[in-house]
Amino acid sequence: MSDKRRVVITGTGALSALGASTRELWEGLLANRSGVRQVQRLVASGITVTTGGEVDAVSPENVERDHEIANRAIDDALAESKRDAAACGFIWSTGLDTFQMGVDGFVHRSAGRCFSNLASRFPGPRRMIAAACASGTQAVGEAFRLIQNDRVEACVAGGSSVMLTPFYLIGFAGLQAVAVDNGDDPSLACRPFDKKRKGFALADGAGAMVLETLESARERDATVLAEVVGFGVSQDAFDLNRPCDDGAGAELCMRRALADAELMVEQIDAVNAHATATYSGDLAEAAALRKLFANRWQDVPVSGSKGAIGHAMAAAGVLEAIVAAQTCATGIVPPTVNLHDVDEGCELDHVIGEPRDVNAETVLSVSFGMGGQNAAVILKRGLNG
Amino acid sequence: MVYLVAAAQQDDLARVREEKPELWRHVRRYNKPVQLALAAADEVMRFANDPSTAAVISLAPCQPGSADLYSWGHVVTSGMASGTLGNLRMNPTQTLHAVDNLAMSAFAIANRNHAYCLGLGGAAGQAWCGIEAVLERLDSGLEEEALLMAGDQDAAEDDSRGLGVALLFSTRAKPFQPSNRIVRLVSVSRSPAIVDVVPHAANGLTALLSSIANGVVSYVVPPAHTDGFSTVTITLEIS
Repeated sequence: MSDKRRVVITGTGALSALGASTRELWEGLLANRSGVRQVQRLVASGITVTTGGEVDAVSPENVERDHEIANRAIDDALAESKRDAAACGFIWSTGLDTFQMGVDGFVHRSAGRCFSNLASRFPGPRRMIAAACASGTQAVGEAFRLIQNDRVEACVAGGSSVMLTPFYLIGFAGLQAVAVDNGDDPSLACRPFDKKRKGFALADGAGAMVLETLESARERDATVLAEVVGFGVSQDAFDLNRPCDDGAGAELCMRRALADAELMVEQIDAVNAHATATYSGDLAEAAALRKLFANRWQDVPVSGSKGAIGHAMAAAGVLEAIVAAQTCATGIVPPTVNLHDVDEGCELDHVIGEPRDVNAETVLSVSFGMGGQNAAVILKRGLNG
Repeated sequence: MVYLVAAAQQDDLARVREEKPELWRHVRRYNKPVQLALAAADEVMRFANDPSTAAVISLAPCQPGSADLYSWGHVVTSGMASGTLGNLRMNPTQTLHAVDNLAMSAFAIANRNHAYCLGLGGAAGQAWCGIEAVLERLDSGLEEEALLMAGDQDAAEDDSRGLGVALLFSTRAKPFQPSNRIVRLVSVSRSPAIVDVVPHAANGLTALLSSIANGVVSYVVPPAHTDGFSTVTITLEIS
């Protein structure tokens, strides 16, 4: 038995296209509802991609939107945990710099400056994670590792992104990663693993978790939402824009997380998938999961959240880890919103149409970043401590 | 034990283009901070036992992007205001210039590196988090070698001065290149202090290398190179 410190989640905060709380995110997913929609300010700009996952809680006119969205999620997580920022480290991703139109013209928002502002109320460690779409998951994993290794007693971990701008929509359309408008219902824009998938819907969002030692959670009589038991990262070392076809890099990071958790693959009850709805990404992910689970691949429920909330980039991984924590706590795996007709090569035990109560206790949550950085965390039900 | 075994700095892309045409072919489509970081990394990895298994810790630039990207940003934002974006297409290479983990990805592809990786973002003072992470990984025996690399520029909007730096650490004591002395990284310590900073991913590390060249074993990071919230001291043993 490892003598490393056990790490638990005692608070979460989530701002997504499904609402401004973890409860709204979870209930929306259970209802098989998509929050992705046509965004009027994008229609006005005349571009070919006008759907996205908008966060309504903070006005798009607010030039401090990046900071506001992040702070709301952080404050909610701290409030639920009943912890003070002054007693926490801060491991966070603010994603990429943003370029948008302000009242006085061109506005450049520095992700680094946003991070520094957010970090100012935390005593440290203060680490800004930069791993593209895997950032949120890696932030959770790095915080887990720092607490486990006695560097700090508690951390706020997660990420935030404000990227629903023409600048990035046009850019990602050029990389053939986002679903361009085609006259369909905008809420169907992102269809993970589906035959009709054509890319993701870009989204704004923020997700925050408070992680701390099990010992401190017990001392404070805090409610434990889930335990973090494993973390792994890897690099594809294959291509800047697409994963290798067999998902080898993704499989490697999942195996590293399992080894770190000292778990057998048979002990994983469910998967929260990256599930971007890109053609090659979903194929590679499905291949990796089939190889990982071997002859059990048809028996492990797989669910993805991006059909419902879009791809919130730096926030995506932590929002999905929050969903995984809810699955650990309730045993219920939500459906993959907008998945109707599983594409050839994407076969897995997909949860389709309605949630599935499988009493899942141990959940693997994964993210695979553009450029080939992969991250996985394993969460476990935290009731018994 | 963790040892600094090699370091390199690079600020001259014309020289890279001329002297290392193969490397240049690999990096030419990237933006300046990424090109310089990769050129510096290429120098130090000559001293690595196995570039494919080293942990890779990469600092994103504090001044990300490129002049191309900024001019594109102006086109998009002005077009948005007038509703004339239409079917405007963006060169995918320019999109890449916005991506924060580009140097790490490009390094991994070139070196077939599937190992642990940590991208640290473009906030002030992240270099010292990078050195802390090197100590955490190597002291725990998780890897035998770790690369820390950074590239940045004085301003992204124009073609201003850029700087790349790379440091290779190992659990095996080897003479530090270029000084040939044994340099052991002992600790990174911090104490609270509110100070003004000048965010730059590479400048702090080059200043550290200068102090090592002068034999300094207790290096107090100048306030401008910190994250603005702490005094940082790097302790070394040089023999």
